[in-house]
Amino acid sequence: MMKKLLIVDDEVEICEFLKSFFEDRDYRVAVAHDGVMAFEQVGIFKPDVVLLDIQMPGLDGLQALKKIKEKYPKMKVIMVTAVETQEKIEEAMRLGADNYITKPLSLEYLEKDVQDKIELLAKGV
Amino acid sequence: MPTETDRLNANKLDYQEVLRDVARMMVRLKRPDRLLKIITRFIDRQFGLTHTSLLVLDPRKKRYVFVNSKGSKRLPVSLVKFDVDHPMVQWFSGFKQKQPFQKEFLFLSDVKKMLSRAEYRLASNSKADQLAGIQKAMQTLKAELIVPGYFKDTLVGVLMLGRRVNGRCFTKQEVTFFQTLAHDCSMAVKTAEYNQSLVEQNQELARRLEEIERMRSKEQKTYYEIMRSLAEEVHAKEPNIFGHVSEVERLGLMTAREMGIDLSGKTKDLLSAALILHDVGKIGIPDSVLSKPGRLTPEEWKIMKTHVEKGARILEPLTDFKKVREIILSHHERFDGSGYPRGLKGDQISIEARIISVVDSFHAIVSSRCYREGRSLDFAIHEIRNCAGTQFDPVVVDAFLRALKKELQKKGEIPRSLLEYAAG
Ligand SMILES: [Fe+2]
Repeated sequence: MMKKLLIVDDEVEICEFLKSFFEDRDYRVAVAHDGVMAFEQVGIFKPDVVLLDIQMPGLDGLQALKKIKEKYPKMKVIMVTAVETQEKIEEAMRLGADNYITKPLSLEYLEKDVQDKIELLAKGV
Repeated sequence: MPTETDRLNANKLDYQEVLRDVARMMVRLKRPDRLLKIITRFIDRQFGLTHTSLLVLDPRKKRYVFVNSKGSKRLPVSLVKFDVDHPMVQWFSGFKQKQPFQKEFLFLSDVKKMLSRAEYRLASNSKADQLAGIQKAMQTLKAELIVPGYFKDTLVGVLMLGRRVNGRCFTKQEVTFFQTLAHDCSMAVKTAEYNQSLVEQNQELARRLEEIERMRSKEQKTYYEIMRSLAEEVHAKEPNIFGHVSEVERLGLMTAREMGIDLSGKTKDLLSAALILHDVGKIGIPDSVLSKPGRLTPEEWKIMKTHVEKGARILEPLTDFKKVREIILSHHERFDGSGYPRGLKGDQISIEARIISVVDSFHAIVSSRCYREGRSLDFAIHEIRNCAGTQFDPVVVDAFLRALKKELQKKGEIPRSLLEYAAG
């Protein structure tokens, strides 16, 4: 079965870069640029893992996380944030985020973390 | 149409020109980001690469981050980092203590070749692991050539170059050029860091000095406040004097203003302080003298007169108030030279002291219990006028009475004495 990843970031370049990074690693990838679009994509694309930027205009990452986890509690969501604000991270973890990564990020770590989440899903965790 | 050789020659000249420009800019630029941007953009335009990216060490966080990227396949800036334990960083850091322009750069094709050589893998497992990690990173970032930049022994940055769009390979000369640029970038980054740390040290120093100055002025302010309340207390102890330190202050400022003295900022503060504190030395006068209801004996007068020197001494800790001390010391001098303690004369006495002399005497007379309101005002005005030229500076007296008249006019109660004054 193909691994499916949704990348949410308001910066188009970041989305494109990560999309091609994960496509090269045999993922099917969809992108969204804000929280509303992300929530729509979640319903249509049904990803295994969501990479969700916290700082976004409009519906931000935390609000999107809340909506996603309410509707799809099993979907794995990894928060991505440019600044490590402890407050926001705690809030995200409270809302059910599966992990968080701060930018700039190590691609090796990112890949491994996404892969881990896929494996957890396969095990039914 | 230029031949390929022409183009190469043109490029050759261009390199030297660019390197000179870069060297010049390095000296001038305090912040390197502009220089790094210029270099990235220059390579992108000159060589037509899929991307030109610059990875720079963030020494505080011990990691390397992309700060610039140009070209159609450019990398998002600030998204990707390489930690110091990344194979590529490890590989290049292993080149410490070598001469510059060694073959430190890596082509993706060479990495592949080295990895395929069985002996390399056997010779050193860690080197092979590093090369595998480098290959993976280069493939991921679509880099064809990576060129490290050093400052002394530190790997400061890595210039990461994509494929040439026209498919041609890099020449040896071009690689040398990239090495020089990578080296210049590193120099610029490190020089800027050094400058920045100097700036920060200076700021810290300035901040501390400011703090000391603030504490000092706070201390002085507190001292001043204490002095002020003491001065009020002193006046309260004197018999027959009702009034207030602040009334003397008000009259004094009013007179100065009438004389056209510029009362902006510090001048006003000084005059105010002198007006308020002029009798503060009376703290040191025994109550038996200070509060004595009747006339003072000559002995007691002698003691009383010391209040000017005592006041000056009390204000010694207020280093900002040197001028105030001088004024206080002179506030019982007389215009004709017959005053105390130094017998100064005319404009040997500071103008502030001459003003205090007038308003202090005036206020002492009007607030004296011996006279009824209306009469005491007329009496005081006469007294002051009579002493113009002997005890008081006539110019000050004139200004004082003008100001007083203006003030009383507003209230609509001009005493007879001032009506005459106006006529005269
Ligand atoms: Fe006095």
